[in-house]
Amino acid sequence: MPTYKLTCFNVRGRAELIRLLFAAGEIPYEDVRIEWDKWPELKPISDTPMGQIPTLEVDGQVICQSMAIARFVAGKAGLLGKTNMDQARADMLLDGGMDVGKLFTEMVMEKDASKKAEKKKEFGEKHLPPFLALYEGFAGDNGHFVGDSLTWSDIGFFNMMDFITAEYPGALDGYCKLNKVIDNVKSNPGVAKWLKERPVTNH
Amino acid sequence: MPAYKLTYFNGRGTAEIVRLVFAAAGISYEDVRLEQDKWPELKPKTPMGQVPILEVDGTMLCQSNSIARYVAKQAGLAGKTPMEQARVDMVMDVMDDMGKKGNAVFWEKDEETKAEKKKEYEETFLPQFFTCVNKLVGDSGHFVGDELTLADITYFNTTNLVGNYFKLPNMEEFSGLKKVTEHVTSNPGIAKWLKERPETPF
Repeated sequence: MPTYKLTCFNVRGRAELIRLLFAAGEIPYEDVRIEWDKWPELKPISDTPMGQIPTLEVDGQVICQSMAIARFVAGKAGLLGKTNMDQARADMLLDGGMDVGKLFTEMVMEKDASKKAEKKKEFGEKHLPPFLALYEGFAGDNGHFVGDSLTWSDIGFFNMMDFITAEYPGALDGYCKLNKVIDNVKSNPGVAKWLKERPVTNH
Repeated sequence: MPAYKLTYFNGRGTAEIVRLVFAAAGISYEDVRLEQDKWPELKPKTPMGQVPILEVDGTMLCQSNSIARYVAKQAGLAGKTPMEQARVDMVMDVMDDMGKKGNAVFWEKDEETKAEKKKEYEETFLPQFFTCVNKLVGDSGHFVGDELTLADITYFNTTNLVGNYFKLPNMEEFSGLKKVTEHVTSNPGIAKWLKERPETPF
């Protein structure tokens, strides 16, 4: 059994999808969390390919880039998709989600209060509704984005909406298939356990 | 053999990585280049209202990196083991960060801010970035394993695209990256494509 060590800041952030995938796959790993203020002194002595975290160490080999790590863990958990085409569709849906997720993150991280209020309104009115309508179309009646079983694209969608619904509580109302995706993810035993036990953090 | 149809505007842009992978793999495909006035008609038929798209026996894929990874997997150019594939993905994402940062500078509206950001990108960011990325190249002169992968091709393509607008540092200093470039440009399929590909403004 390989040993997995995930290193990230003490937030959900870019690492949470990875943690959810380890959970869904019931794969044990070391979940190392670094406080922001400790990073400047740790960075020069940390084994990071590009000076950034998260990183995943697997039996001594270190990789960075959260989506590369997530795809690797999804593979170990059997959640990539069954065929090359299924895997490509899962990738495509995650990439599309990240395009919107980026706008959301920019809004959340905006320090100026009045600019943030503007961005929040714009995201909620201009970007989020078309995204959800589009993804409702992508979701199957079975509550899966790809094929007929859980893949990492379902979990990625769940994770992103977990962040988004904290700012826009009713966002998923009325989206039958997307709500089924969310339910499918939450009822995965490994994910359910992690959601109950994970540390509560602001981000 | 599936029928592959790639649709994009008449330029390199985000489609070029896919064209290079097809070229390296020796896989034939239809390279559709849209004129701007044909785009409004096609747009609602695409999965996310964007190009490039790849049609494979009737199924449509979008998102250039996902398409590139799919074609690379079909061609055996995406890494041989899960860890190799993760390393290929890592290099793709690292190069994506560099490209996106350059794009943000390119699209900056304020001329004075743009000039400042361009200077910072060229004189500070790129030298540090390439120094880091150079260390990721193995003794084989490839990013992953000892054969050409999508990682090598992505490095070459992004650097090539960025270099069209920005002044790159002296790349001779980065011996690993030099070897990667040589491997990519001497791949017969890629060499042929680089000679034959249309000259386009982007």
